Amino acid sequence: MWMRVLRWGAVLGLLPLLHAAAPPPSDWVPMRWPWSDPASLELLSGTPINCLLLKTVLPDFVQAAAARGVVTLAVLAPDGDVAGAARRAMAAKVTGIVIEGDLPEGAATVREAAGGAPVIELTARSRMPLGSNAPILGTYQGVWPGIAVEADGAKKAAPTGSVWIDTNTGFIRAVRAWGGATLWMANQPPPKTVVTGARYLEVVADAAISGARWVLALDDDFTARLARREPKTMADWKRIADLLRYFEQHPEWRHMQEYGKLAIVQDPAKGGLLSGGILDMIAVRHTPVRPIPRQHLTPEALAGATMAVNVDADALTPEQKEVLRDFTRSGGMLLTGPPGWKDQSPQGDKITLDKAELERLNDIWRDVNSMVGRRNMGVRLFNVSSMLSNLLAAADGKTAVVHLVNYADYPVENVAAHFPAEYKRATLTTPEGVEKSLEVYPTEEGGGVDIDKVLVCATIKLEQ
Amino acid sequence: MIGAAPLLTAAPGPEPPAAPVSIARCASYDEDVTARLATLFNQLGGIDGLVRNKTVTVKLNMTGSPGIRFQGQAPGLTHYTHPKLVGATAYLLGRAGARRIRFVESPWATAGPLEDVMLDSGWNVRSLQSAAAGVEFENTNALGKSKAYSRFKAPGNPYMFPAYDLNHAYEDTDVFVSLAKLKNHDICGVTLSLKNCFGNAPASIYGDDAGVDEPNEKPTSGREAVLHNGKRQPSRSAPPELHPGSSREPGYRVPRIVADLVAARPIHLAIIDGVESIAGGEGPWIKRIRMVKPGVLMAGLNPVSTDAVATAVMGYSPRAVRGTAPFRTCDNTLLLAEAHGIGTTDLRRIEVRGLPIEEALYRYDT
Repeated sequence: MWMRVLRWGAVLGLLPLLHAAAPPPSDWVPMRWPWSDPASLELLSGTPINCLLLKTVLPDFVQAAAARGVVTLAVLAPDGDVAGAARRAMAAKVTGIVIEGDLPEGAATVREAAGGAPVIELTARSRMPLGSNAPILGTYQGVWPGIAVEADGAKKAAPTGSVWIDTNTGFIRAVRAWGGATLWMANQPPPKTVVTGARYLEVVADAAISGARWVLALDDDFTARLARREPKTMADWKRIADLLRYFEQHPEWRHMQEYGKLAIVQDPAKGGLLSGGILDMIAVRHTPVRPIPRQHLTPEALAGATMAVNVDADALTPEQKEVLRDFTRSGGMLLTGPPGWKDQSPQGDKITLDKAELERLNDIWRDVNSMVGRRNMGVRLFNVSSMLSNLLAAADGKTAVVHLVNYADYPVENVAAHFPAEYKRATLTTPEGVEKSLEVYPTEEGGGVDIDKVLVCATIKLEQ
Repeated sequence: MIGAAPLLTAAPGPEPPAAPVSIARCASYDEDVTARLATLFNQLGGIDGLVRNKTVTVKLNMTGSPGIRFQGQAPGLTHYTHPKLVGATAYLLGRAGARRIRFVESPWATAGPLEDVMLDSGWNVRSLQSAAAGVEFENTNALGKSKAYSRFKAPGNPYMFPAYDLNHAYEDTDVFVSLAKLKNHDICGVTLSLKNCFGNAPASIYGDDAGVDEPNEKPTSGREAVLHNGKRQPSRSAPPELHPGSSREPGYRVPRIVADLVAARPIHLAIIDGVESIAGGEGPWIKRIRMVKPGVLMAGLNPVSTDAVATAVMGYSPRAVRGTAPFRTCDNTLLLAEAHGIGTTDLRRIEVRGLPIEEALYRYDT
């Protein structure tokens, strides 16, 4: 009996250390931490945030964070003696370094100064090392997600006749199609803007439904109110934490791949890195789509697809053209961009299409729209005009999830999803804690489910 | 002069018919909408005799893309007929013995199944289907489930077109119901049971991308070029305008086309959803609109009389002429329909049952 008590006592004694074990980079849930006071860390209680990006590195704070098992990363600008700054930060015992901006000469000297500690580069989209073995890819460039509003306050109409939603999802999908690295979206709230709690939820979900993480960054006003522990701000903070936890509790979603019977063949280093492009246009129509990097175009990548869009036909190698020819010979429908069309690349600070390019892309979009028609390309969603969605499938194909994010200020009621007959069971989960089986009813496409209400986010799990 | 034209033509004819109109208070869609609607029908003498063993076609109001919303609200709370009222209508028609209940609409820019548009509007199609036996849906923007269009000749002296080619659903029916919303309209001042029938015209023939010779069975646009502005004629398969030299102004054209359409395809029962709606225009694309809650339902067996009462409930004179609210830049559709002999706008001749106009009054112009 005493032996058992001693054994348990030993285990309990180790608990603080066990708790303090740092998670691997792929599990880091990052936030730009605006405070240096160790007492501020109390705000992390009950949240899944375990990685703090620090502009100011104080040893006491770093030590207090480490004691909680929280990773600290020093954020360095790419000017001046970056290697020296990295050495000083490492001396304060931070876990690693974040270089925010583009180092013309590369990060080798910083890596050397970090002495094997993780060095994460938040670069321009055009400088992201796609295909590298970096554990985390990140960019400081992103659109601020939400329903686009024109100067006069009216909602901006899209070619679809529905509202246009600014989103990073197309970009994230294109990058993720290239490889399995963890992707951080590190764009910050628009300056001189008070951001509501609901908008933060949209930004978190916009990244998470496509498998990325938004590096949580609070605007100055929210930061001040949170520091004062104002009740409404604390409630918003809890909702943000709940939403982060919702996605972190389902790591399997991050390992699923975009699924759809429509494939977009595009060079992610070009048009795929822009927002507002063909992937986002298709996303607004809720057509499930799988991006295939031109460089990864193989018969296997097209398996299961019935339609494909080749955005930049001139960029394909003869072998890649042959893959698409085989696809059409076997019954697939192929839509090719207009002759002479060149997929635009992001340049400098520009991460969205200019008006002329957008109009040209609209032509492709209309053709895609016409080609898809009412066909069910994986799932058809109804009453989702203020939402974006993403259909992801597990590697074995037996399970799929449909993520929904609502960008409107109001909940959306009566959403319907129609899907192929192979899925027999459906479960709804939401960040509010809902987890319930949905009645699957027959539809002309196979099955369908109804969802009563979507606040900010909901996920339908489909199982064969 | 243009505004006076309908009155001049109306004067010599016999008095147009009048029919009772009932009004009921219904403060919200959470109330028992079916019971309120049943009361309206009872006050009209019941609908059994009208619909028993009949095919009943119900024209809904689902104007504009379901994706375009006002302040994120469900379209039924703003500019569409509310699905609960649609369900209540189906149930009561079924209970009254209707053999087939066909809901129709020519929704924005699509010839796809109407059920898809309903789902996109947040309607529960399965509930509607189970509200009564024999419920069907048809998108009347194109041929739909038929192989030919039906030609509806406008009787007497039509204003704009001698006849209109419409989806078969408007012909293959014994009873035609206009289920409208109590709204203003940017062009026509008000949009009620008469104006609702502007949507009878298929975009395949009267749409901006209608075929030149034959209908375009996959229309993807509205009807501005042909009907609103007269910039082009409908597909040659349908009769062209009677007076191509007449005004191209929408405020002249649309009210006349509506009056012609209702004369050609008469309405047997008008139901107007004024529970929750918008004022200032017909949809979210009109920038000055605002949400309103008149909290009323109305029904009548004559659409002109019903619209006259509804216009009065909105705080306007149903006999107001062009230049007067709500017909500030248009001719009065009600007077044009009255001049066709469809029904009277004279409130002195219309018996209002249930809630009096004075008690139902909800001024749309503030």
